[in-house]
Amino acid sequence: MRRENNLKKKASVYAIVICTILITISFSGCQQQEDGKITIKNPNIFVRYDIGDAKTLDPADAYDTGSSEPIFQIYETLVTYKGNDTKTFYPCLATEWSVSNDSLVWTFKLRENVTFSNGNDFTAEDVKYSLDRVLIMDAPESGVSWILAQCMDTNSTTVINEYEVQIKLTNSYGGFLALLPYTVAAIVDKEYVEEHGGVVAGQENEYMKLHPMGTGPYMLDHWTRATELVLVKNPNYWGGWEGKHVDKVVLKYADEAATRILALKNGDADIVYIPYANLDDVKDEKGIVVHPFDSYDVVMCVINTKASNNQYLADGQVRKALSYAFDYDTAIENAYNGYASRFAGAIPKGMPFYDTQNNGQSFYNYDLTMAEQVLDDAGYTKSYDLDGTLYRFNGTTIRIFYNAGNAEREMMAIMFRSALDDIGILSSVIAEGWPQLLHRMYTTDDWDLMFIGWGPDYNDPDDYIFPFIASADVGGDTYNTGYVNETVDDYLLEAKYTAVSAIREAAYKNAYDIYIQEPPFVFLQQRQYIRPWRDWVQGYSYNPVREWYYYDYYKAYE
Amino acid sequence: MKTWEFIIRRLFLLIPVIIGVTIITFTISHVIPADPARAFAGGPKAQPEVIERITKELHLDEPIWIQYFYYLNDIIHLNLGKSYLESRPVSESLAQYFPATIELTIFAMLIAIPLAIVGGIISAIRRNKLSDHLTRIIAIVGYSLPIFWLALMMQYTFAYQIPILPLEGRLAIGMNAPSSITGLYVLDSILTGNLDTLGSALYHLIMPAFTLGFATLALILRMTRSSMLEVMGTDYIRTGRAKGLSERTIIYKHALRNALIPTVTVTGLAFGGLLGGAVLTETIFNWPGMGRFAASAVLGFDFNAVMGFTIIVAIIYVVANLIVDVLYAVIDPRVKLGGG
Repeated sequence: MRRENNLKKKASVYAIVICTILITISFSGCQQQEDGKITIKNPNIFVRYDIGDAKTLDPADAYDTGSSEPIFQIYETLVTYKGNDTKTFYPCLATEWSVSNDSLVWTFKLRENVTFSNGNDFTAEDVKYSLDRVLIMDAPESGVSWILAQCMDTNSTTVINEYEVQIKLTNSYGGFLALLPYTVAAIVDKEYVEEHGGVVAGQENEYMKLHPMGTGPYMLDHWTRATELVLVKNPNYWGGWEGKHVDKVVLKYADEAATRILALKNGDADIVYIPYANLDDVKDEKGIVVHPFDSYDVVMCVINTKASNNQYLADGQVRKALSYAFDYDTAIENAYNGYASRFAGAIPKGMPFYDTQNNGQSFYNYDLTMAEQVLDDAGYTKSYDLDGTLYRFNGTTIRIFYNAGNAEREMMAIMFRSALDDIGILSSVIAEGWPQLLHRMYTTDDWDLMFIGWGPDYNDPDDYIFPFIASADVGGDTYNTGYVNETVDDYLLEAKYTAVSAIREAAYKNAYDIYIQEPPFVFLQQRQYIRPWRDWVQGYSYNPVREWYYYDYYKAYE
Repeated sequence: MKTWEFIIRRLFLLIPVIIGVTIITFTISHVIPADPARAFAGGPKAQPEVIERITKELHLDEPIWIQYFYYLNDIIHLNLGKSYLESRPVSESLAQYFPATIELTIFAMLIAIPLAIVGGIISAIRRNKLSDHLTRIIAIVGYSLPIFWLALMMQYTFAYQIPILPLEGRLAIGMNAPSSITGLYVLDSILTGNLDTLGSALYHLIMPAFTLGFATLALILRMTRSSMLEVMGTDYIRTGRAKGLSERTIIYKHALRNALIPTVTVTGLAFGGLLGGAVLTETIFNWPGMGRFAASAVLGFDFNAVMGFTIIVAIIYVVANLIVDVLYAVIDPRVKLGGG
């Protein structure tokens, strides 16, 4: 009898356990609809999980991605980009524009019946005030005012009438129109700014940092640092709210990749940032879309060409050999999980004049035999004996630096060291913190190779090729490579200071043909941009210059 | 020495402690050759005038001892400087993150302390029985489990597989925080009568507080058990039993009170430690607290933020120790404060 009771008890326990497991399984993951699709969470709220909080919401002093993103939703510019099109300038607050024959005077007709989210009218006075404000404030926190200061001063903008402005450039600049869609050229409400601190030369406006007011589709609801920034519909938006849009946009900041992945999987997030190495965690997941886009984010191995640091790297032939010694394709596969493409020269794919670089084809491919040949021909033969192995450069070690914590660059640095060893060049890989690397690069000059990246400010090749290739003497050489070729400088200056496309094209081509033979960089990859999203997200497209535009997005199954 | 004299004397000791801590932290953070001004100004894209301004603001162009003098001068004027990573005063950042950490710590302790003390007592008085084995297993598991693993497993189980708890954060997605009075969302929600945020804040505390409390629970439980076992073996407990005192009186009136001294020490220090921020728990649960703030400040060479954090943590430890010392005297009247 007792045995029977025990058996019954055991059976009850098993039944409870099995029921619990079944209930657990039925609950697991996201809730499903009758048609088998997962129920859309928060259908009127678009939620994005990413890293990197905003620093400021004042467009006159914003120069980081975290800040630019909400500013792009709150403020608007005279011209803009749409969807994934980087080739065309679209009207925004300006409806049409024209330029004088000498490319110096630009005239913009402005959109009428536009109001800021506080109800104030948008007029030409606001345009002049906004552009002058950037130049007077001079972006004390970020220095971003340089973008306008390249070709404008406070006398440049003139109000013609209530809905027309003229901008007279201080010098002709080929990339002028491309500057205007950037956040620094966003239009603020003159009356509102004047009520809240106005413009003081060389000083940031603390109020505007936290209280933005623009003509864009969304306006700030609240911003809790390191947590979230929430935008809500601007009821006065001139574009109107016909069609499908979300009511609210929530930008969540989460440092931990695993948290962001789970947020996407359980439907809390509509779109998230996931590092390349973790993409496999969501790639085949039901209801999640992983789609790469070509971006303008590029990665290079910068070469210190100053003979005072390393006499060998000062020789263009050695740099050429280094370009043959990097295994580009394997690096793309291993470091970027395949989500990158070759970076052919200083102008990234997708930008105007990209094809001036060897018709868009990479000049160098991985070829250790060719690398050895170039070195031998230049007289750098193997002669230094180390444990029975012969090395070049009298055993001088090439030091390869990367910023600690960057797994992709670490992997590439190690690969490069191995390849250099194969062609008889001693090398070492060193990781340092970002501020230490900057100190090394700009203060000590004590480095040989450094893995580093660059992202776009605006959609013009001058934003890449000039800081990379032009010498410090003419205001280039951002990476302190020490590379100087006066002929190349002349071509780059010619391309910079003209708006005539044919002249720019020829100048960029001529510059490329010279510098690629003595490259101050090993041009590595152009990374692909991937933000996995839930399949209920509609209207999302990626533009490398203007990543996000929430007005176009909505949530539905279609 | 009277209690208040003891407290004031100990609080005065804070001054040399803070000076010592700032000297050590300042030296360590400044001797590494680095270019924080350029890093804050935008790295390779930094404009020279911005680098120059930041260099001047941080006095990076001066010898290190002069930099320290400037820093100390600012501290005396209650100015912790500016966090360049967050582009706002360090005091503002601390005012946001410290209450978040206090809230999490209090709830972690509210979970850990009662469970640990009850568990420790049961374990001790039922030594080598099933309940003792179970509590010891819990203690060992809690002690040995890496907290990040526990946090991730909790998230995976209760926010994904059985989605009954929120994944991360302090409030529901997009919800406005209650008007800031203390910065503790639960308390502020009560004070402002905002039941929605109160519910959301409590709901969001469950997982991170349990995760953080679990490791502390293990520590306190083991300490309570071992001191209870030690006390239960003493002569006066045997005498009490011989006198015919009830087991309840013996345990709660005589044994527990004496056994609590080491437990209070451990609890106080653990509390102080948690108030300094739990980097892993805060990072995984996306809890905007001191640990996350300090970790990003250290990685970003945000000197002022690191120093501000260090000072706060030094004060917390001194105060936590002080409270523990005062509690000794409360629990055990034989203990004289100030060694007199």
